Amino acid sequence: MHLAVSLNIASAAGQVSLTFAELAAFVRNVEAAGVDMVIISDSSDAPSTSPFEATTLLAALATVTSRIGLVASASTLAHQPYNLARRFASLDIISHGRIGWSATMTQNPREAANFSRPEGFSDDDFRRRAREFINIVRALWIGWGRDALLFDKAAGRFHDPDKMHPLNHIGEFFSVRGPLNVARSPQDRPVLIMSGPSEADFDLASGAADVVLIEGRPSEALKVAVGDLKRRAAAIGRKPEIVKVLATMVLTSEPGTDSLQALLESSGCDGFNFVLPADAPGLQSFTDRVLPELRRRGIAGQGQQGTTLRAHLGLGAGGEQ
Amino acid sequence: MSTRKMKLGLFLWATGHHIAAWRHPDAHVTAGIDIDHYISLARTAEAAKFDMVFCEDAAGLREANVNIASQTSRSIGFEPISLLSALAAQTERIGLVSTASTSYNEPYGLARTFASLDNLSGGRAGWNLVTSASPIEAANFGATGLRPHADRYARAREFATVVTGLWNRRAAGHDGESFSVRDPLDIPPSPQGAPVMVQAGASDDGKDLAARTADVVFSAAQTFEDAKAFYDDLKGRLAAYGRQPDDVKIMPGVAPIVAATKAEAQAKYDALQELIPDDVGVALLSSYLSISDLGRYPIDGPLPELPESEGMKSRQALVIEQARRDGLSIRELARYFAGARGHWRVVGTAEQIADALQERFEGGAADGFNVMPSWFPGELDAFATLVVPELQWRGLFRKDYEGRTLREHLGLKRSI
Repeated sequence: MHLAVSLNIASAAGQVSLTFAELAAFVRNVEAAGVDMVIISDSSDAPSTSPFEATTLLAALATVTSRIGLVASASTLAHQPYNLARRFASLDIISHGRIGWSATMTQNPREAANFSRPEGFSDDDFRRRAREFINIVRALWIGWGRDALLFDKAAGRFHDPDKMHPLNHIGEFFSVRGPLNVARSPQDRPVLIMSGPSEADFDLASGAADVVLIEGRPSEALKVAVGDLKRRAAAIGRKPEIVKVLATMVLTSEPGTDSLQALLESSGCDGFNFVLPADAPGLQSFTDRVLPELRRRGIAGQGQQGTTLRAHLGLGAGGEQ
Repeated sequence: MSTRKMKLGLFLWATGHHIAAWRHPDAHVTAGIDIDHYISLARTAEAAKFDMVFCEDAAGLREANVNIASQTSRSIGFEPISLLSALAAQTERIGLVSTASTSYNEPYGLARTFASLDNLSGGRAGWNLVTSASPIEAANFGATGLRPHADRYARAREFATVVTGLWNRRAAGHDGESFSVRDPLDIPPSPQGAPVMVQAGASDDGKDLAARTADVVFSAAQTFEDAKAFYDDLKGRLAAYGRQPDDVKIMPGVAPIVAATKAEAQAKYDALQELIPDDVGVALLSSYLSISDLGRYPIDGPLPELPESEGMKSRQALVIEQARRDGLSIRELARYFAGARGHWRVVGTAEQIADALQERFEGGAADGFNVMPSWFPGELDAFATLVVPELQWRGLFRKDYEGRTLREHLGLKRSI
């Protein structure tokens, strides 16, 4: 049973934006309540009023928390795979292994218009490009062997040259020689999360993602999607239990813990992802009223089983999948 | 006592600026994977009232030869934007400046990221614009290789125009040669308005771009005359862009080795030089000269004649001039440059180092210095505890911060 909280800091248009102190206090509160991870996105169809970009915010949050997983959304349109892989590997080292990347699987027209792609990509091209992008990032993350760094002052050998592996990727959309100039990170690979994949993305999600977020309602559709993703994972030799499917729930008022328990049992999902409004009253309400109820029912408070986000989620090492 | 104060930057670089720094017994060898180490360095610099910490960056390995690379600590380290964002939450006053490339980023994304860092830090962010001269980086972003110098600078000019337009809320909508941007920046104005703009290119293209857009210029100069010539040249270019000489702060790199006596300082330096393997020194020199095969010339012979490079034109000229002037062999030149990477090396007591800095500062050759400790944390600690108090006592450097933002520390206008 896993629990994530999602905040879209860009969606607060017209409202007073959250300050860093407010965000940090909230993340510490949900950390104390045993939530596995906070997922932060900073992009929406409308212009954002948030003062922060998600990955920079994550780095700052990493220094004021100690156990909770920290995830940022980042799109394949707004980044280059080499830069994105570096940023998240570096964040993983800064946080001592608590980082995840939520890969945006839909094309945001605002991003296309502002990132020198005024025509955007066709859906098909966008999907193929995203797949190639994600696979490059995953490969770059394990370009350095776990024991590559020797730090041998006397012999003058900083790292083992045989344990640094270039990627030499030449694909349809990208050419990337690699390797990263960031060391292997504590989780081997930061946790890869895919949010709301369409059915066309299910193969990629079941083959590459560690966590898939699927709309929790209607419950029948959730059950079908959970079964489908786990079957596809098993079909390519992955253990179905290391592809975690969380039901995304938009919390408008009281959570209705009875129905959450029922949904967990009927759908076979691995837990919940609560989408919260990114404003101070919304966060206050969640920590003061919702979290205690979730804890009382045993829905929250079971997380954070280890020191890394992978350990919290019961995932294997990132380099061995 | 002068009222004009020296600006000081701390140039962060893996285990230290000396190529063999990581082998020094006191160097923190795991610096590249230890965030607490960097937090500690930034706090040391902040306690010493430095204007800023600065992260140089490349989006790729520094050295193509894996055997050479494995004998240095420079193949791994933190990605600087995430590093500085973490430092923003763990420091209060010191400026946070990172390199980012105009060749391998998009202006909208870069403008957002630095605006976010400026918001996270309460107005302490700066961007060091580079065009990225390394073919190793180019290979991580496509199969077409390094763009020619002139093309990189054309792209950089457009990039800088878009970024400063976004920060300064000028009319939205850009449809240019390399970039198109439709909307205004979707991050509210940050405390500095525009983060501080830094540049280090010293070619003609680089100096013109700096004169047009930079608030701070980092440079490399061995002699007083070189430093003065660069200073006058750059300040002389400002009027053409409607700017005043004081609008740009010129901060040459300095690689100090300080100790209680001159002999002790020299001994520290000699011990470090002894740790440089010849093949590493020659490889580093080759990369500054933008040639791949310096190793096939006799190591005790002179530098061969070299074609002008497409990479770092200005740095190449500096190295060649040094070799010819002092009649250095390849080995001697390699060791000399490996030590400070072409920057100004000063070895001595706190008084001697303060004298040297004061001469350039008061002689119109520098507005401040980018300090490059040979290894971390020891040589930073030595500079902070020995040289900084000496500069403060002479009235050359602040005793405390007066402002909150990096622009205020540097005495710059709010926005460019």
